[in-house]
Amino acid sequence: MKKKKQRYKPIRLLIGLCLLLGSTMAHAQSNFTISGNVTDKMNGETLFGTSIFLEGTTIGAITNEYGFYSISAPQGSYTLVFSHMGYKEITMEVVLDKNQKINIEIQESSTQLDEVEVTAEEPERAILRKPEMSVSKLNIKTVKQMPVVLGEVDVIKSLQILPGVTNNGEGSSGFHVRGGAVDQNLVLLDEAIIYNTSHMLGFFSVFNADAVKDLKLYKGGIPAKFGGRVSSVLDVRQKDGNSKNFALTGGVGVISSRLAAEGPMFNNKGSFLVAGRGSYAHLLLKLAGEKNSVSFYDLNLKTNYSLNKNNKLYLSGYFGRDVFDFDGSFSSSYGNASGNLRWNHIFNDRLFSNLSLIYSKYDYELGIDDFDFDWISSIKNYNAKYDLKYYFSDAFKLDFGISTIKYEFDPGQIKPTGPNSAINELQLDKKRALESAAYINAEHKLTDRLTAQYGIRFSHFNRMGGQPISEYANDQPLVYNNTLRFYQRTDPIGETTFKKSESIETFSNFEPRLALAYQLNDYSSVKLGYSRAAQYIHLLSNTSSVTPLDVWTPSGKYIKPQLSDQYALGYFRNFKDKMYSLETEVYYKTVDNRIDYIDGSDLIGNNTIETEILNGESRAYGLEVLLRKNEGPFTGWISYTLSKSEQRTFGGNAGGPGINNGDWYNTPFDRTHDISVTGAYQLNDKWSFGSNVIFQTGRPVTYPNGQYQYEGISIASYSDRNADRLPAYYRLDVSATYKPNRRPDKKWKGEWVFGIYNVLNRKNAASISFGQNFETGANEATRTAIFGIVPSVTYNFKF
Amino acid sequence: MKLYHKILFIFLLLISASCTDVVDVDVPEGPIRLTIEASLDWEKGTTGNEQTILLSTSTPFFDNQQNNGATGATVRVTNTNDNTEFVFEDQNNGRYTTSSFIPVIGDTYSLEVIYENERYTATETLFPVTDISSITQSKDQGEDDEVLEVNVSFVDPVDEENYYFLRFQGRIDLLPELFYIKDEFINGNEADFYYEKIEDEEDNIVEFKPGDIVDIVFLSASEDYYNYLQLLIEQFEGAGDPFSPTPVALVGNCINEDNPDNVPYGYFRVTEMVKSSYTFE
Repeated sequence: MKKKKQRYKPIRLLIGLCLLLGSTMAHAQSNFTISGNVTDKMNGETLFGTSIFLEGTTIGAITNEYGFYSISAPQGSYTLVFSHMGYKEITMEVVLDKNQKINIEIQESSTQLDEVEVTAEEPERAILRKPEMSVSKLNIKTVKQMPVVLGEVDVIKSLQILPGVTNNGEGSSGFHVRGGAVDQNLVLLDEAIIYNTSHMLGFFSVFNADAVKDLKLYKGGIPAKFGGRVSSVLDVRQKDGNSKNFALTGGVGVISSRLAAEGPMFNNKGSFLVAGRGSYAHLLLKLAGEKNSVSFYDLNLKTNYSLNKNNKLYLSGYFGRDVFDFDGSFSSSYGNASGNLRWNHIFNDRLFSNLSLIYSKYDYELGIDDFDFDWISSIKNYNAKYDLKYYFSDAFKLDFGISTIKYEFDPGQIKPTGPNSAINELQLDKKRALESAAYINAEHKLTDRLTAQYGIRFSHFNRMGGQPISEYANDQPLVYNNTLRFYQRTDPIGETTFKKSESIETFSNFEPRLALAYQLNDYSSVKLGYSRAAQYIHLLSNTSSVTPLDVWTPSGKYIKPQLSDQYALGYFRNFKDKMYSLETEVYYKTVDNRIDYIDGSDLIGNNTIETEILNGESRAYGLEVLLRKNEGPFTGWISYTLSKSEQRTFGGNAGGPGINNGDWYNTPFDRTHDISVTGAYQLNDKWSFGSNVIFQTGRPVTYPNGQYQYEGISIASYSDRNADRLPAYYRLDVSATYKPNRRPDKKWKGEWVFGIYNVLNRKNAASISFGQNFETGANEATRTAIFGIVPSVTYNFKF
Repeated sequence: MKLYHKILFIFLLLISASCTDVVDVDVPEGPIRLTIEASLDWEKGTTGNEQTILLSTSTPFFDNQQNNGATGATVRVTNTNDNTEFVFEDQNNGRYTTSSFIPVIGDTYSLEVIYENERYTATETLFPVTDISSITQSKDQGEDDEVLEVNVSFVDPVDEENYYFLRFQGRIDLLPELFYIKDEFINGNEADFYYEKIEDEEDNIVEFKPGDIVDIVFLSASEDYYNYLQLLIEQFEGAGDPFSPTPVALVGNCINEDNPDNVPYGYFRVTEMVKSSYTFE
C-alpha cells in the first residue's frame, strides 16, 4: 500500500501546476504571432529542431517535426534569429504589430559541413531552458561519419555510443536503454511501429541512412504524446525528398549497396524520395562455393503534396526483408512493412494539427525441408492518431491528441508442405487487441529561469475476444512442486471461448509526465523529470539475445501490463563559449509486472505461454555523463555510464520462492561500466578522420558450477541466474574519409570512406559455451568472437 | 526446436566469419552432490531381470577424473503395485546390480537409495514403447546431401500422448547424439529422425563411412522425464550460445528425504526399450 500512495503524488503535483496555468493565460491577450516553416535551402527538407528566438528576450520556439513554428510576443520591434546547428544563422528585423507568416530557408554552413555534430537536445541557446531531458538526438551526418563495421552506416549502433544505450554484444538484435529490454523500446519510422530493428541477426539496422532525416531517442522523460513502451522511444523520421532538384545519392560497400532518388513533383507542390538497399554478400558466398546464404534488402518511399499553404499530405512507406537459406533444407525470411498517410493542417497561426493513418506489420516465415513443414507468425497493427499543438503564448504551449491502435497477433501456424510430411497442421490461437490513448501536455515557462513540462496520458487496452482462453485449477497455470523444488506446468481444466464482440480483459492507466528545468545562469541548468508509462504488448523471449522468431503477445488474463516509473535528475553546462558541453544525469527506474521465464521454459509453438512465466519486477539505476567538444576541427565526445539493472520474480499464485529463490538477479542487459570515446578530426577539405574507443563490462551469463555423469556424458550443473559475467569488451575503430577534388560546377560528388573496425583484433567474447570435446571427452569452454579486425571501403556519391 | 537455435547460430557464424576458440574460464564451484543414474530399461523380447544403477558424485566442472563412483550405499527398488522388492548389490565401483528385476508394463516402481546417512527416493511408472519401423541409410536427408546418415522411423500411436528418448552412438565415438521427442506435432504419424556427422577438423569429427556401426536405443518417456531430457539435451548441446535460453539447474525426480537442500542429480526411469544397431554399407 505504501508504494501506491507514492505513485499518485505526481498526479497531485500536476493538478497543482494546472491551477497555476490560469494566471499565465491572462497575459496572453495583447500579443502577436509569427508563424511559418523552416526548410533547408539546398533540398527543401523541412527542419526539425530549429531554434527561433527574439534576440535580447527569452522568447523563443523550436520547429516541430514538420518544420512548423509559432512564436508570440508583445507588440514591438525585434531581431528574429533562426539558428540550427550546422546551418548559417539568419537574423531579420521584424516589426510586430500584426500576426504574420514567415517561411524561411536556411543554408548549411559549408565550413561545418563535415563536422561531427551530435547536436544537443536542441541548439545551444535553448538547451538549458527547455525541460526536456534524457534525450539523445543524432544528426544523420554524424552517424555517417562514425567508423562502423564493414562500412555499413548504422543509426542504432551509433546510438549505442551515447550514454545509457547498449546492445547485447555484437550480432544481437535491438538495443537496450537504461537497463531495459529490447521490447521495451518503441521504435517508430515515420510514426509506424517497427517490431524488429535489425537485419542479419543484428549486424545492421533496418534504417537506411540515406533515407533518414533525423532521429531522436527518448531514454526517459518521454513526452505524453508517446506511449506503449516502458523504456524508451526511438523516433526516426524519413526525408521528405528534395523539393528543389532531382538528386541521386548512393553508395557501394562491401556488404550492400544503396541508391536513393529524390526530387520535386506535382509542379513543385511536392517531392518524393525512393531509397533502396540490398546486400550481395550472399552472391559472393555462392561464388565461393558456400551453400548457405543470407541476404537482406529494404525499400523506403516518401512523397508529399501541398494542397495549399495550410494543408499538406505525406505518404511514406517502408518494406524490408531478410532471407536465410541453409542449403535448401532450411529457409527463413522475415521483415517489417509499414505505411503512413498523414495530413498536416494548420488551423491558424497558433494551432497546428496532424492526422495519421498508419499500418505496420512484422512477419516471420520458416521452412524446414527436412521435416516438410512451414512455420509462419506475424503481428499487424492499424493505427489512427490525431495530434494537435496549440501555441497559446510564448510562455505556454499545449500538445494534445488521441490515438488508437488495433493489433492482430498470429503467434504461429504450422503447415505441412508435402503429403509425406510427418507434421500435423496447427494454428495457435490468434489474438486481437485495441490500444487507445488520449493525452495533453503543456510546456510552460513559469519564470524566466524556470520552465515546466507537464502532461498526462490516459491509456486503455482492450484484449478483444474471438479466441478461447484456458482455465486452470485454482487459476494456477503453473505450480511450485515443493518436493522436487521446481515450477511445473499444469494442464488446463477447461477453456472459455470469448466472442469477437466480447472483451477478455481491459486495462487502463493514467500516465503522468513531468519535467522541470531551472536555469542557474547563462551556462548551466538543472533539470528534473518524472514519467510513468504503461506497456501492453510484450515480446516473448527466453534467450539471451532476441531472435527474429520471438513472438509478441498482448496483455490479458495471465500477463499484466508493464508499468514503469522513472525519476531523473540532471545537470547541464556549457563551457568556453559553448565549445564544450557537459550533460550529467542520474536516473532510477522501476518496472512492475515484468515477466520472466521459469527454468526450462519452452516458448516456441506454445499456445499456453502462461504455463511458462512468472510475474516479477525490475529496477534500474545509473549515472550518465556526456562531455562533448562541439566546435573546431577536432570534435567528439566522451560518454560514461555507471549503471545497474536487475529483476526479481516471486512465485506469486504459483507458490514457491520464485525464480532465483526470489532474490534480485542481474538482467541480461546489466552493464556496470560503459565508456565510449568518439573523435573526429577534419584535416583539410579532402581528408577527415574518425575514431571510436569502446569499453564495456561483460554481459551477465550463467556459468556451470560443477559436472556429473549421466547417459555417458558430462552434464553441467548451474546455480544462480546471470551471476557470472563474460570478460569485458573493448574495441578501437578508425576511419578516414577522402573527398577528391571537386569542381564547384560539377554535380557529381563522391567520397571514399575507409574503415578499420576492431583495429587491435581483440577477440571479444560474444558468448562462451560449455561442452565436452568430441574427441577427448574433456569439458571445455568455447568462446565465440564475432568480429576480429574488419577493414572496409565504401564509396558514396551524390548526383 | 533446438534445430532452429542451432541453425541461427550457424548463420551468425557464417555472416560474421567469426571464429570460435577454446579459452580458459574461471567457473564457480558448487557443492558436491550425489548423482543417481537409475535407468531400468527393459529391452523388448528379454526378461529384463538384469539391471544396473549407477551412483557417483559430482565434480568441479573442469575436473577430468572419472573415478568418482559412490560406494557403500544401499539401493532398493520396489514394485508398489505388488510390493515386490529388488535389492541392488554394491559392486564397489559405483555400480549396483540385480539379476532378479521383474518389469511389468503399467506398474509403478519406487527407488530408495541410502548414501552417507541420507535417504533418497523416487517413483516412476513403466511405459511401453512402440517398435522402430525401419532403419535405413541415405545421403539426401540431413544437413549435407553428400554425407551418410542413418534414419530411424517409428509410427506414433494416435490415441495417447507419447514421449520418446532416442539415442544414437557411433561405436567408435565417445559422445552420443540424443533426441527428445514429443508427439505434439506428429501425433499418429510415421516420424523419421536422422543422425549425421558433419566433418569438423577442429573437433576431429569425421563423417560416417561404410562399415561404421551406430548403436540405436529407443525408449518411451514419461512427460516429466521428457521435460528433464529436453533441458538436459539442449543445455548439453548449446548452453551459452546467444540463441539458447539461459542455462539452469536440472531437476530430476529423486528427493533427498533427510536433507532436502542437498538435492541429488540424475533421474530414476523405468521404461521399455528397443535396441538395435546399424552398419553403414
